[in-house]
Amino acid sequence: MNELGAGTGLRRLVHEVQSLELGQSTAYEGGLLVVSEEDASTFFRDPALAEVRVGCASPGESARIINPLDAVQPCSKGPGGGGVFPGFVGAALPPGRGETHILRGAAVVAAGHLPRAQEAVIDMSGPVAALSPLAATNNIVVEFERAPDAAWEDVESALRRGVLRLAVHLADAALDAAPDAVEELPDPTAGGPDGRARVGVVTNLQTQGKFKDVFVYGRSLSGGLPTAISPNELDDGAVVSGQYGHPALKNPTYLHQTHPVVAAIRESEDMWLAALVLCPEPVEQGAKELVSAHAARLCAALGLDAAIVTKEGGGNADADVALKMDRLDELGITAVGVFAEMAGRDGAGPPLVVPPSRATAMVSAGNYDELVTLPECDRALGGERIALLDLPATDELELPVAAVYGALNPLGWGRVTCSEAA
Amino acid sequence: MILCNLVSIAQRVGAPRIVPTRGIPYPAGDPSLGPDGERAWRRELLGQALTALSTAVEEPTVFAGASE
Amino acid sequence: MRIAHYLNQFFAGVGGEDAADAGPELRQEPVGPGRKLAASLAPEHEVVATIFCGDDHASTHPEFAAALVEQAREAGAELLIAGPAFTSGRYGLACARVVSAAAEAGMPALAAMHPENPGVAEVQGAPIVESGATAREMRPSLERLAAAARRLADGEELTAEDGRIGAVARRNRMADLNAAQRAVALVRDRLRGGSEATEIPLPSFDQVTPAAPLADPAAALIALVTEGGLVPAGNPDRLQSARATKWVRHSLEGRDSVAAGEFESVHGGFSTQWANAEPNRILPLDVAREMEREGAIGKLHTEYFGTTGNGTTVADARRFGLEWAAELRRAHIQAAILTAT
Repeated sequence: MNELGAGTGLRRLVHEVQSLELGQSTAYEGGLLVVSEEDASTFFRDPALAEVRVGCASPGESARIINPLDAVQPCSKGPGGGGVFPGFVGAALPPGRGETHILRGAAVVAAGHLPRAQEAVIDMSGPVAALSPLAATNNIVVEFERAPDAAWEDVESALRRGVLRLAVHLADAALDAAPDAVEELPDPTAGGPDGRARVGVVTNLQTQGKFKDVFVYGRSLSGGLPTAISPNELDDGAVVSGQYGHPALKNPTYLHQTHPVVAAIRESEDMWLAALVLCPEPVEQGAKELVSAHAARLCAALGLDAAIVTKEGGGNADADVALKMDRLDELGITAVGVFAEMAGRDGAGPPLVVPPSRATAMVSAGNYDELVTLPECDRALGGERIALLDLPATDELELPVAAVYGALNPLGWGRVTCSEAA
Repeated sequence: MILCNLVSIAQRVGAPRIVPTRGIPYPAGDPSLGPDGERAWRRELLGQALTALSTAVEEPTVFAGASE
Repeated sequence: MRIAHYLNQFFAGVGGEDAADAGPELRQEPVGPGRKLAASLAPEHEVVATIFCGDDHASTHPEFAAALVEQAREAGAELLIAGPAFTSGRYGLACARVVSAAAEAGMPALAAMHPENPGVAEVQGAPIVESGATAREMRPSLERLAAAARRLADGEELTAEDGRIGAVARRNRMADLNAAQRAVALVRDRLRGGSEATEIPLPSFDQVTPAAPLADPAAALIALVTEGGLVPAGNPDRLQSARATKWVRHSLEGRDSVAAGEFESVHGGFSTQWANAEPNRILPLDVAREMEREGAIGKLHTEYFGTTGNGTTVADARRFGLEWAAELRRAHIQAAILTAT
């Protein structure tokens, strides 16, 4: 490692959370996270919010979270550590160096109604649990009521600020605990061992305005061009989600923080995680083409041998992946795209709205339209009825897998895939 | 036969006889020419279309468009 | 099982292109190639009815299919077989409509045609088995069809081994690795020189057999058609600006030009200012009439067909093309010029 390299990496101090309960005061010990509802509510004091309730839902419980909005992994750099969630909690400066404490196995989840949010479900146990990343975390669920006459944008902002600050507060409870694991993440700019293929990740972020935007350092990439950040910045919350549509195709903040493609490249011994390029997803063809062409040039300038392209959203976002795959291919950079399919209920329809024209390597995150049945459960957080079916939230529900939060996650979290029936 | 601007798409979907045009919003026109010039250009384009229709082809074939 | 067999006018022995307009009919016995089919399926199964229709009528009257299926059911049919249609596009489309209508009505059905028949993409809810390209391959095609029909009658799911073609259902399943890890594996495969591996196949488009060239354009009957969304001003047919599910037709008789103010484009995929200022930029009627007057072409068709090519599904676009071809053939048109935007 050269001089520049020393000190540019990130050390992750991992504190495992095995169980969760509400209690008098917030504390973390021996894998148990105790959350004080009173404590937690202070972070949500805002004129736009009338009331906030904190509940728990842990893996294996007969519980269902409906209307989940964003989910966040608790993290903190401790006093003097520089701050996380730049632009929202910490100062708007690139993070991702030094040390970060994370609570692995916990998530703060807001649940309730926001405009343009599509109804989503998470089952904490049963056959559909395995389809959602949040069924594997101990969830601190924050339900809320809008203050009378409050603008929904203000509700959303207040909620986001509250969830992020609570996430930091919970991680702060573990600062003095001996970590269960210490993970060293070198910075890609420090260069990699000779011989390994330089593989980057190109992650497209939805940029469609209110309730459909994703933030980098607290700002939207809408109307802008691609940018490269260190993948280590993701751990410190450089990317925060404000997008509440397409439940199965959603990238909550939690999955930006724990970016599965970044993790998969890191764990492969024959590849070097060389770069992370973030791009807006314009809704107009000309802008899509410009962003995609520019992203490919940026990947070439970063010396990539290969790039894995991810998206957020439905069919329109397929075009952004397809264009990037084709532009990368033209520049001699191996391109792989991650897509969810929209092949219809019987799976016989054309899988993609916009396939690439020359690049061909695609991963399927599953067919969106296939139906799943969620069994009856004991309790539900985030609401009382499923409007899609007009049924009580705890009933047995038959829904397209499109409604299961994160089931076809475009950052590659899920094991669901789609293939021809035998 | 097809008169179109996005020739590669026509080829990809197997259109046998293709004659390229000046722009998507005006497949049989060219607003940069004056009215007389444009009409003469359009006549020439249709002439190329007839040539394509009268030529044997085995696979998607792009014929010359109307001249500058 | 009792089986109904669908054929077109030609294989039913009614006539060739001259009979392509023949309406739907039912006969209570196997007909033409159906006799060989019936023999192969005996004694367990019986062909109790032959239903048939002219290819042009089938293309231009989609409702024929449900009506024929109902008649077949009344004649006692429990399973429906259509074809083999080989590469005949209108016949394939008709078979597709018939088996789809049968599936919709809850009757098991099976079609047979060549993999490149455009009808393959039009089948919903029923399997398709491969046939040869032409009637020269009738015998092996019928053998395969009969074998598949037997398995279908036994309640078996048809697979590639039966010669199954067309869109196969894709089903979700849990892989061992997550999508991110599978993407990394694909990168590894490609970096090592692989070029085939993928979890999502690219769509393949039709092979289109080019029509024979015009022997003499000066004698030819030619039609102008467009996907530029050209409609009479005011859009009386309400043609959609995007995701069109229909097409329109209007007379060009007595017109030397499509005039601004009388025609407009409703296409939502580009700025229509140039089209509306001069609609001949979308449908080149002015110069086509000139060529007709001067004898460069024989005759221009009396009407034009149009739709909006903006986010149209491949299935709809394919269907429009088949329907336009059927209509134009009925009018003895020899060539069509399509303006695309």
